[in-house]
Amino acid sequence: MEITREIFWNVGSWVRWPVYGLGLLVVIIFILGLVKRFRLWRIGKPDIRNDQILKRIGTVLSYGLFHKRILKEPYPGIMHLFIFWGFLFLLIGTALIFLQEDFTRLIFDKVFIQGSFYLTFSFILDLFGLMAIIGVLLAAFRRYILKPERLDNKLEDAFGLLLIFLVLVTGFTNEGLRIAVTRPEFERYSFVGWEISKIFSSSEQAIASLKTAHVVCWWFHVLLAFTFIGYVAYSKLIHLITSPLNQFFRSLTPQGEIKPIPDIENQETFGVAKLQDFTWKQLLDTDACTRCGRCQDNCPAHLSGKPLSPKKVIQDLRNHLNQSAGNLKKQGGGQEETVPIGGNVILEDELWACTTCAACQEACPVFVQVIDKVVDLRRYLVLMESKFSPEVKLFFKNMETNSNPWTIGFATRADWAKDLNLKNLSENKEVEYLLWVGCSGSFDERNRKVSRSLVSLLQKAGVSFGILGSEEMCCGETARRMGNEYLAQILMQQNIELFSNYGIKKIITLCPHCFNTFKNEYHQFGGNYRVFHYSELLLNLYQEGKLKWKTGIEMKAAYHDSCYLGRHNGIYNAPRMLLNSLPDTKVVEMKRNRAKSFCCGAGGGRMWMEETLGKRINQLRVEQIAATGASVVATACPYCLTMLEDGIKEKGLEKGLSVLDITEILDKAC
Amino acid sequence: MDVIVCLKQVPDTETKIKINPEGTGIVTEGIKYVMNPYDEYAVEEALKIKEKFGGTVTIISMGPARVVDAIRNALAMGADEGVHLNDPAFEGSDSFTTAKILSKVIKDMKYDLILTGKQAMDFDCSQVFGCLAELLELPYVSVVTGLEISADGKTAIAKRETEGGVEEIIQMPLPAVVAAQKGLNEPRYASLPGIMKAKKKVIKEINLTTLGMTASEVGEAGSKMKTKNFQLPPERKAGKKIEGEPPEAVKEIVRMLHDEAKLI
Ligand code: SF4
Ligand code: SF4
Repeated sequence: MEITREIFWNVGSWVRWPVYGLGLLVVIIFILGLVKRFRLWRIGKPDIRNDQILKRIGTVLSYGLFHKRILKEPYPGIMHLFIFWGFLFLLIGTALIFLQEDFTRLIFDKVFIQGSFYLTFSFILDLFGLMAIIGVLLAAFRRYILKPERLDNKLEDAFGLLLIFLVLVTGFTNEGLRIAVTRPEFERYSFVGWEISKIFSSSEQAIASLKTAHVVCWWFHVLLAFTFIGYVAYSKLIHLITSPLNQFFRSLTPQGEIKPIPDIENQETFGVAKLQDFTWKQLLDTDACTRCGRCQDNCPAHLSGKPLSPKKVIQDLRNHLNQSAGNLKKQGGGQEETVPIGGNVILEDELWACTTCAACQEACPVFVQVIDKVVDLRRYLVLMESKFSPEVKLFFKNMETNSNPWTIGFATRADWAKDLNLKNLSENKEVEYLLWVGCSGSFDERNRKVSRSLVSLLQKAGVSFGILGSEEMCCGETARRMGNEYLAQILMQQNIELFSNYGIKKIITLCPHCFNTFKNEYHQFGGNYRVFHYSELLLNLYQEGKLKWKTGIEMKAAYHDSCYLGRHNGIYNAPRMLLNSLPDTKVVEMKRNRAKSFCCGAGGGRMWMEETLGKRINQLRVEQIAATGASVVATACPYCLTMLEDGIKEKGLEKGLSVLDITEILDKAC
Repeated sequence: MDVIVCLKQVPDTETKIKINPEGTGIVTEGIKYVMNPYDEYAVEEALKIKEKFGGTVTIISMGPARVVDAIRNALAMGADEGVHLNDPAFEGSDSFTTAKILSKVIKDMKYDLILTGKQAMDFDCSQVFGCLAELLELPYVSVVTGLEISADGKTAIAKRETEGGVEEIIQMPLPAVVAAQKGLNEPRYASLPGIMKAKKKVIKEINLTTLGMTASEVGEAGSKMKTKNFQLPPERKAGKKIEGEPPEAVKEIVRMLHDEAKLI
C-alpha cells in the first residue's frame, strides 16, 4: 500500500473551489483588518527604525521564535511556547499540503508527502497539535481557575481560546474519523488520530455514518480555521502580527536614554497631548501589547498600590486609539481631539507615580515601552499646562536659581570637600578625570560622607582627578524625567559648555542618574565623554592592584541594584564583584535582584514628591532586604541610600539593618 | 482692568551675603538674582484679575541690565508689557526717590490698580509703595492676603493681616496701591510657550532723559537717606540646652531668665 493519504478524502476534490473562495475572502478580511491598524499607527509622527536590520531580525528570532523573555516565567512560558510552536508546525504542515495539492500535484503530478516523509510528517503534526491543545488547556486553567491578578478577562480571551481549541479538536477528530474508516496500519504514526479512531466503531454499518460525520466535521474545521484567521486581525490575536513587528522595531538605543524635544526654542507645542503627537512606533506599542501583565507584576508603583499600572496605561492608550479611530485623520488634518491625553485618558496621579525604573520594559516580552510615553505626557502637563504639585514646582524653582533640588545656595556646593585638599578644575585642569559629585553627594548630609569615601579611595589609588567645586550644576537628569525638558536642556547645555572649557574627556560619577545622563543623553547636545560610574572604575583599580584591602569587613551584605545602574545601563556585576573581593564579606541576594530588582522609589523625580498614595515603595524594598537576614544593605546610588535609610527608620529596623554605600565599605577596608 | 505691577529683582534668598572690603555695599559677584518673592504674588494676582476682567498687565522694574530677567519672568507668566527703568543715575536711590521715579512714569499711564509685594527681600524697607501712593494720591493697603475687585471695577476689598493675628477688611476706591503678602495666591510656573513668547517681547527702556528728570533729583544725589556703611549682623550665639529632670530644669530656666537675661 502506498504510504500517504488522499488529501480530499471523503469530501471530494471539488471542495478546493469553495475553500479557495472562502480562503480568498478570509485573506481579504484579514488584510483589511491589518490595514485599518496600520493606518491608525500612521497618524503618529515619524521615527526611524530600520537601522541595524540584522540585530532586529535577531530580536525577533530569539525573543519571538525562541521565547527568550516569555520563558523567564515557567508556567506561562511553556504554555505559550506549546501553543506557539504547535500552531507554527500546523501552519507549516498545512502550507506543505497546499504546496503539494495545488502546485506539485496539479502541475507536475508529483506527491511528495508520502513514504517515510509522510510518517514523520504525520507524527510531528500530531505531536505539535497535541502540544497546542495542552497549551490551550494550560492557558484556560491559568486564566479561569488560577486567576492571577495580572490577567484581566475579556470576552475576546475566552472566544480566542475556545476558537483555537475547537480548531485543534476538530482537526484531530477529522483525522480520527478518516483513520477509523480507512484503517491503514501505518497511520499509527498519526498517534493522536489513531487513538481517537479507536473511539469509533468501524463496523460496516457504522462506516456510512462515520463518513457523514467526517464531512460535517471537516467543514466545521475549515470554517473554524478561517474564522480564526479572520479573527486574528480584529482581536488581541493580532499580536501574532504586531508582537513580532514590535520586536523588530524595538528601540535599540540605550534603555536609559530619553529622547530630546529637538529644536525646543522653535516648537509651538511640547510633549504629547493627542494621539498624533506620539510616534507611529509608540502607537504600534499599544497594539503589540498582549495584556499579559508581566509589566504590572514588576511595577513598584502598581505593587505599592498606586493608581499606575503600565499595562493599564498601554491598554488605555490602545482603547483611546480605537475610540478615536473614526475621526482620526493623518497628522495635521482631521478633527482635533479636544482634551489632552494626560489628565484625561491617563490620569495625572498615574503619570506622576512612575519611577522610570524600567522594570516593566525589562519584563515585557514584546518590548513595549512605557517610560517614553510617561515622560512625553508629563512634558505636556509641565511645559504647556504648568500642572504639577507644589513640591515639583519648588524643585524646578530651586533648579533654576541654585542648580540643585534643595533650597540651598549654589555657592555651598563644594563645602563637603573643604578640608579634603581637593583641587577644583579652575585651579588645576591638568587632571585625567573629572569627579562629578552630583547634587546628593554635594548637599545631602548623609551622602556627603559617601563623596568623602569615594575621594579617599581615589586618592589612595593615586587617581588624577579634580572637581568643579561650586561651578558644578545639576546634570539635568531629574528635571528631564519630571517632564521639564526645557530646564533640563538648559542645564545640560551649560554643563557641556563648562566641560569643553576645561577640556574634560573622562568623567567619574558618584550617582547612577548623573552617569546615565552623561553617558546616554549628553551626546544629543554634542557632549561626548568617557563616563564611568565609580563602581566600574574602582573595580578596575582593584583588578590592577592599585586598590588593596588591608582588612576584611565581616558582615552579611545584601546588594540593592539601582535601576539606573542595572536595568538602564547593565551594570550588575561590578558592585557585586567589589563587595565579594572583600575578605569576610558575604554578599546575599534578594529575591528581586539584577534585572528584576525592585526600585527604591526615588527615580523619575519621585525622590522630590510626596508619596501619599498606597504603600511606600522604599518600605516594600526594606521588607525584601530584611527577608535576607542581611545586616547591611549596600548601595551604589545616593537616591537609593536616602530612600532605604528612610525606609529602615520608618519600619523601626535601625537596630539590625543599616545602609552603606559601597565606597564606605571599601574605604573602611583599605 | 489695567494693572501695573511694580517689581524688584533681589538676590536669591539663599545667597550668602558678603560685605565689600570698603563696607559700602555687598559683594555682587556670584549672586543669583530672582524676582522678589512677594512680587510674585503681585504678578499672579494681576494675572488673575486680567483673566477675570480682561485688560492688560504691565510690569515696571528699576535697576541695571540684569533686571530684564525678572521682567521677562513676569512676562512669561503672562504679563503683557514690560517697562525697565535703567540709568546709572538711578543707582543708590532710597525708597522715597524710587517712589518719585515710579510716580513720574506711572502718572501718565492708564491703570486701575497698582500691585506690588509688601517688601523687597533685600533691604526689607517696605517704604516705596506708601510713598508712591502718597505721590499719586491713591489709597494704599499693604500685607494683603485677599483681594476682591467689585464687578464694576470701581472698588476693591482687601483682607490684610495685622499684628496679633487680627484680620482687617478694607474697602477702597480704585485705582489704589495694594501690596501683597504670602498667602494671597499661589504664583504660577510659567509655561514654555509663555517663556518663548516673553523672550520675543520688546521691553520699554526708560532712562533719566526719557523720564525727564535730572541727575540731582535721583540716585544718591536725590535721596534723603544716606548709607554710611554696611555690616553683617553679629552671628547668633548657639542656644543653650538645659539637661536634667524637668523639675530641676525648670528651676534652672527660671534662674537664667532672672539672673542672666534679666527678663523676669
Ligand atoms: S518604569 Fe517602573 S514605575 Fe514606571 S510603569 Fe514601568 S515598572 Fe512602573
Ligand atoms: S506591555 Fe508588555 S508586559 Fe505589559 S501587558 Fe503588554 S505585552 Fe505584557
